[in-house]
Amino acid sequence: MSATMKLTRTEGRLFARDPIALFFGLVFPGILLIALGYLFPGFDEPSADLDGKRYIDVYGPIVLVLGLATLGLVTLPPILATYRQFGILRRLRTTPVHPARLLWAQLAVHGVVAIVAAAFAVGGAVLAFDVPVPERPIWFVLSFLLAAASIFSIGLLVGALARTTTAGQAIGMGVYFPMLFLAGVWVPRVIMPDALLTVSDLTPLGSAVQALEDSWFGITPSAMNLAVMVVWAVIVGLLAVRVFRWE
Amino acid sequence: MPVIEVENLTKAYDGTKVVDGISFDVAEGEIFGIVGPNGAGKTTTVESVEGLRQPDAGSIRVLGLDPMHDRYELTQRVGAQLQESRLQDRIKVGEALELYASFYDQPADWHELLDRLGLNGKAGASYSSLSGGQKQRLAVALALVGSPEIAILDELTTGLDPQARRSVWENIEQIKEAGVTVVLVTHFMEEAERLCDRIMVVDRGKVVATDTPAGLVGRVGAEQRLRFRPSVPIEDADLTALPEVTSVKHSGSQLIVAGTGNIVHAVTSLLAQRRVIAEELRIEQNSLEDAYLALTGAEAISNGPETEVN
Repeated sequence: MSATMKLTRTEGRLFARDPIALFFGLVFPGILLIALGYLFPGFDEPSADLDGKRYIDVYGPIVLVLGLATLGLVTLPPILATYRQFGILRRLRTTPVHPARLLWAQLAVHGVVAIVAAAFAVGGAVLAFDVPVPERPIWFVLSFLLAAASIFSIGLLVGALARTTTAGQAIGMGVYFPMLFLAGVWVPRVIMPDALLTVSDLTPLGSAVQALEDSWFGITPSAMNLAVMVVWAVIVGLLAVRVFRWE
Repeated sequence: MPVIEVENLTKAYDGTKVVDGISFDVAEGEIFGIVGPNGAGKTTTVESVEGLRQPDAGSIRVLGLDPMHDRYELTQRVGAQLQESRLQDRIKVGEALELYASFYDQPADWHELLDRLGLNGKAGASYSSLSGGQKQRLAVALALVGSPEIAILDELTTGLDPQARRSVWENIEQIKEAGVTVVLVTHFMEEAERLCDRIMVVDRGKVVATDTPAGLVGRVGAEQRLRFRPSVPIEDADLTALPEVTSVKHSGSQLIVAGTGNIVHAVTSLLAQRRVIAEELRIEQNSLEDAYLALTGAEAISNGPETEVN
């Protein structure tokens, strides 16, 4: 087995040994969606507020993005900061394996967890509440991957800037909550005032929610939403690579 | 032929020269010690040898390789333990070793390494459950898992209790017996004296001396001290009259007579003549600690009240 595969397997095991990360990263989005559907009266009935959609339909894409944000902004940055603070990255530099491979391993682990978490949430919504299987599956998968790329880029940048585990947690949280607000977790985008909606569109999470919702319900995502995610992924990703320090 | 050749190494941080023209050679198969006060430039020196730091000036050759330019080849052949470096809390000992073994072209058998370092039975233990000594022994195992020709160990025993320290020392001696050249950064003189074939003393970025432990002690003079309580009082002047004696000090009821040459014979003969019995007699020689303090200009700490006569 190659060193990169071994690193990824080891990092995957370490992730699986962290019960909090495992709960919030893997099963929380699905549980949240199903709980909302069962607990809130009228959650699975068409609503005039939502242009005739049901809350459960609107919240599907929101919990998918919430799951990505939890992994990318809450779980990932402290891990990267810890690895730098503990000298794990520096130690790797004295071996034939470049520490960048450890970052790729972390991104791979978070990516796999994100996909499983999304499958669980989508599957739950489809089985429990008759939400349709995503109607434009290719656009849906593409939107999800772009959302993951843009959100993980931000997490990588936070992990690059934070010197300690605590700083990684604090900065990550500081980005997480405003981003979730703009993604429509508390005020869904369809009922956002226009000005707020424009700001939301310019964030990767807001555009991700819209692109996922569109492709889920048979509409080709707008080029603007996709472009916002690409721009964030590329610019923030390059910035993260530029400012990243191994020690 | 030396396996490490460092010439005129210079490195500054924010305009301050941390390493200022350090040169040394390490011979194949020896344990080479680097000692010096905190901030003397020891770690910067070894990290430059490991290729972790780009020197401002000077040349470094390790096994004929340039540490910055030939990184891949160098990392295959040089194992390192870094100061203040740790592993993930939840990683298991066996997993860490298996992982690091997979990085190298010719890995050592990590199960055997575990046995050799006294960590047998710990393969399934998580890193956070290990004691300080076990963590350091694991760091040694990770430094050796690539079957290196050179192992560089930086402050390996700092923070360990004396028992754990001694057991790590035995491990280092085993590494040497296996034919691996060892570079050992330490600030414990006892450790350097016990393990090192040669020692380089570094202070404020410069080499103060490079020699065998005995050679370093010899440099600061072969002074010996006799410490005893005379059964009846004896005049200091009678002792200082002896050509071998350079000073006499009082420490409570004890006398400390210092000097060179055959001072033991001279003093004991005089005492026998005067029918004075030297009770609680102890003979002290300069240690590497004394030599180190003299070479780095640090102040020795005296034990108890001593009054100088003479």
